[in-house]
Amino acid sequence: MSFAVEVDGVSKLYGSGQGLVRALVDASLRIAPGEFISLIGPSGCGKSTLLRLIADLASPSRGTIRVNGKSPREARLAREFGMVFQSPVLYEWRTVLRNVLLPLEVMGVPAAEARDKARAMLNLVGLSAFENHHPWQLSGGMQQRVAIARALVFHPPLLMMDEPFGALDELTRERLNNELLNLWQEQEKSTVLFVTHSIQEAVFLSSHVVVMSPRPGRIERIVDIDLPRPRTAEMRSQPRFFELVSAVRQALREDGSEEAAHGG
Amino acid sequence: MAAEQARGRSRPPPRLGEGGEGGVGGRWIREYLPAVLVFALAMAAWEALVWALHIQFYLLPAPHVIVEALYEHYPLIVEAALFTFQEALGGFAVGCGLGVVAAAMASRWPAASEIVLPYAIATSAVPVIALAPLAIVWFGVDQGSKIAIVALMTFFPTFISTLRGLLSPSPSSLELMRSYAATNTQIFLKLRLPATLPYMFTAFKVCTTLSMIGAIVSEYFGGRAASLGVYIKSQASLFHTREAWAAIVVACSLGIAFYLAMALLERLVVPWHVSFRRS
Repeated sequence: MSFAVEVDGVSKLYGSGQGLVRALVDASLRIAPGEFISLIGPSGCGKSTLLRLIADLASPSRGTIRVNGKSPREARLAREFGMVFQSPVLYEWRTVLRNVLLPLEVMGVPAAEARDKARAMLNLVGLSAFENHHPWQLSGGMQQRVAIARALVFHPPLLMMDEPFGALDELTRERLNNELLNLWQEQEKSTVLFVTHSIQEAVFLSSHVVVMSPRPGRIERIVDIDLPRPRTAEMRSQPRFFELVSAVRQALREDGSEEAAHGG
Repeated sequence: MAAEQARGRSRPPPRLGEGGEGGVGGRWIREYLPAVLVFALAMAAWEALVWALHIQFYLLPAPHVIVEALYEHYPLIVEAALFTFQEALGGFAVGCGLGVVAAAMASRWPAASEIVLPYAIATSAVPVIALAPLAIVWFGVDQGSKIAIVALMTFFPTFISTLRGLLSPSPSSLELMRSYAATNTQIFLKLRLPATLPYMFTAFKVCTTLSMIGAIVSEYFGGRAASLGVYIKSQASLFHTREAWAAIVVACSLGIAFYLAMALLERLVVPWHVSFRRS
């Protein structure tokens, strides 16, 4: 059985002696292809660290990670990752279209083909009319949509999102949640790893919610989300949704740490 | 998503007086008229002061006297100015060019930059006045020594500013490139270089006026008679204050023109920069 992501006994330590930070301890996780996984927990629980280890932006102190059977580095060099960060990280000297073109340029896709792909992607996120705008001319939600278009334009098998909607207001966030799911369903369902600290967002989007706790950062429990797909905005007000939100909140509390009890 | 307003969705409705050709002219008048008025007032005040306080012309000539002198000695002063400007331009090209190349290398090999940085700082710490006579010994009394001095003066501001810009991209924007498995060359061309352009132009603009000053000052230590530095120094020592002032005005104008040309180039090359955005 091949997994999209296999995390096996992974720890990440920073510093040494008195200053030792155990960012992540003995984490194990298996993600089947096509799943939408959220990592949730209070700050310091290692959720971003885990994402960065899988994305080969840092290397584990102990344990092994396999991505589609490869090491994270091999998977990165094979261009299997799409990344979306909390800030859109758009290049301000590039127009919206040329920002979406960036990964295709780096990967050497012929210009005409690249432009067609980028335009199609912008169309999917509803920003066709803005392809010649510069990033600063767009609202925060629109900028993040461009970032998502840029991440998906080369159809990466694994999409990693580090609190992509964390800086947006609640209404924009909910709308982008819906759009993200629609996009994901159209994109022959790549595997998504989604870091968030919003319980509702995690439950609404995911097939499984990985609940993490801090000091040291570790995986506490995995809550399976059995809401049917396609998910619709109406599901947010259904009893099952609230039950699952409560279950995740409960799991966040059970770890016994102060931060989780207050912050979750 | 229709509900979400784009800040740049459409151009703002034209304000009164901005539509059409006449409107554009109106904006220009509004932008530049104050500067023109201030200049005219300053000139008038200068004239009035010289006249009212009976200041001797060799101490401070009135503006109209300077203009007269400029008119009389026009061919020589312009020839001298162009000669000096060549030196400034040559030195600017060499100094700024080397500064950009050195910054590119320093950003690529940080360990090497640690070793080189003290020497780069030294180039700016050396007093030009002290070095100018030596430059004449090394590079000859002609334009070569002036170009060398100007290059030395413009190297460091360009180097330090460009390097800072090359190192300015955020960790996330670098990680984005890393996630695409971009090569170092691609990261340089598609991220670091565009990011440093505004920093580079800031340095270039400083270096335009710096290069004029450098060229003129190094001419004080010897050079062709028809060059601004030699001309100003010799006329001033003969108490030909009017001629000296006329040459200073020309030097000043050339420096300003050089600066404005660079500012224009900046607008063309980095039109996306925050300083050019109109809301």
